[in-house]
Amino acid sequence: MVNVNEPIAGRRAESFVSVPISDDVAAMNTEHATDQQSPHDAVFAVEDLEVYYGEFRALKDVSLDINMHEVTAFIGPSGCGKSTFLRCFNRMNDLIEGARVEGRIDYHGVDLYDERVDPVEVRRRVGMVFQKPNPFPKSIYDNIAYGPKLAGAKKGDLDDIVERSLQRAALWDEVKDRLKSSAYGLSGGQQQRLCIARAIAVQPDVVLMDEPCSALDPIATGRIEELIGELTSDYTIVIVTHNMQQAARVSDRTAFFSVQLNDEGMRTGELIEVGETRAIFTNPADSRTEAYITGKVG
Amino acid sequence: MSNDETRTQFQTLLEQLRTDLVHMGAMVIEGISAVTEALLAVDVAASDQIVTADDELDLLSLEAEEMCIEMLALQQPVAIDLRTIVTDLKMVAEIERSGDLVTNIAKAIPRIQGVELEPRLRGLIDRMREQAVKLFGLAIDAYSEGDAGLASALGDLDDRLDDLHNDFIDTVFSSRTDRLLTTQQAVQLAVIGRFYERIGDHAVNIGERVQYLVTGELPEHAGAQRARARREAESAG
Repeated sequence: MVNVNEPIAGRRAESFVSVPISDDVAAMNTEHATDQQSPHDAVFAVEDLEVYYGEFRALKDVSLDINMHEVTAFIGPSGCGKSTFLRCFNRMNDLIEGARVEGRIDYHGVDLYDERVDPVEVRRRVGMVFQKPNPFPKSIYDNIAYGPKLAGAKKGDLDDIVERSLQRAALWDEVKDRLKSSAYGLSGGQQQRLCIARAIAVQPDVVLMDEPCSALDPIATGRIEELIGELTSDYTIVIVTHNMQQAARVSDRTAFFSVQLNDEGMRTGELIEVGETRAIFTNPADSRTEAYITGKVG
Repeated sequence: MSNDETRTQFQTLLEQLRTDLVHMGAMVIEGISAVTEALLAVDVAASDQIVTADDELDLLSLEAEEMCIEMLALQQPVAIDLRTIVTDLKMVAEIERSGDLVTNIAKAIPRIQGVELEPRLRGLIDRMREQAVKLFGLAIDAYSEGDAGLASALGDLDDRLDDLHNDFIDTVFSSRTDRLLTTQQAVQLAVIGRFYERIGDHAVNIGERVQYLVTGELPEHAGAQRARARREAESAG
């Protein structure tokens, strides 16, 4: 019986840095390091981050921590850079031509953008769920099994991995009798839970969610929100949402971003305030945060 | 997770708040009995303890109020959830004020030192205690069970407490006339009687809030309707 939270059998549970820089870094890279940290320690430590697309500075002056086993929400108006920032955590911006990151993001104390870091392994540990559910054009079973199989899981373990992942994503009861049917036959909400199950099947550390409920009806949204609360016992969640009431309901900490227009008319996103969600929504420190969350400014 | 359950964390918080308010109500009920015992014995040491114990109720009231505000900010409650939180906010005020009235009785005890309370007065104080405890207990039960029927019966019980209060005042002043009490002592006792009567009023208010929670209606709606009708008649005429 495979415990989906233990390292997948057959895969080396070692570094995500392809060549250890030093003993310190190698030690930090192992699964072991994660176990030694206590809950609510920082998983990511961001310092003076800036993101550029070519000459265009999309984001500036971002410093914050993402704490373990917490839900951190990014809110703010369109164009404020919150999705850009989210994609920094799993190096998805690497795939955009001309994108570059300045400043620093440490992941469990290691520089995420060090040239020796393997971005593929990063994306295994830091999973992502997108706004529009995007299951593979495969069966429900194969959607979940794909990642573990690629990572070297034994055929005999796949059934358990699939069941555990679907259970964890609160989808098992609805699909257990049709695992071989196409994922496209599921409703939008079910497809999104399938995508969450797919992300957690490869035992990530963090799950990033980019507007995961925007395409869903209120009932499906409620189920995903309930699931997010349950997942924090095992994972760290970072969620971008344009629905600040959702951020208020589901998150432990909230970061508010806004857009600044410079002299040349360029819009650059910046972090205005970050803090405990209850404090942000009852007594924010910055008047710009208050103006946004009370709806006085779009 | 049952696939049908959502917002379970929010519902858990609401239940916790209800438990906390019931606990606070129980503290007031215990306080009414304790302060009456201290009053009948004119026990100043006991009265000091009761005054200090009110700090705990103040702390719990503050925490409950903060919880209500947090839920309003973070959970966007509507319908029954909104009425629940609004009711709970009002309940905190009623319970906390009732605790203050117990404290006020306690603070008055040193001012009647040296008084020999005659049997008629002792009897009436004890009956006011009994009625106030019963009334407040039923109000908290009505809140805990969401029982609008029980809540609507509290007005009649409060009438009984009001009668006892009136008898008490009459007896205090006849004791004054018989020179069994100084003017100062008579006034203090009359004020103490008023405190018991006010506790009963708060219990009735709690009952009204429970009716609002269950039905969405308040007694004030009847008077408000009459006022609206008069307004319309005046603007038409």
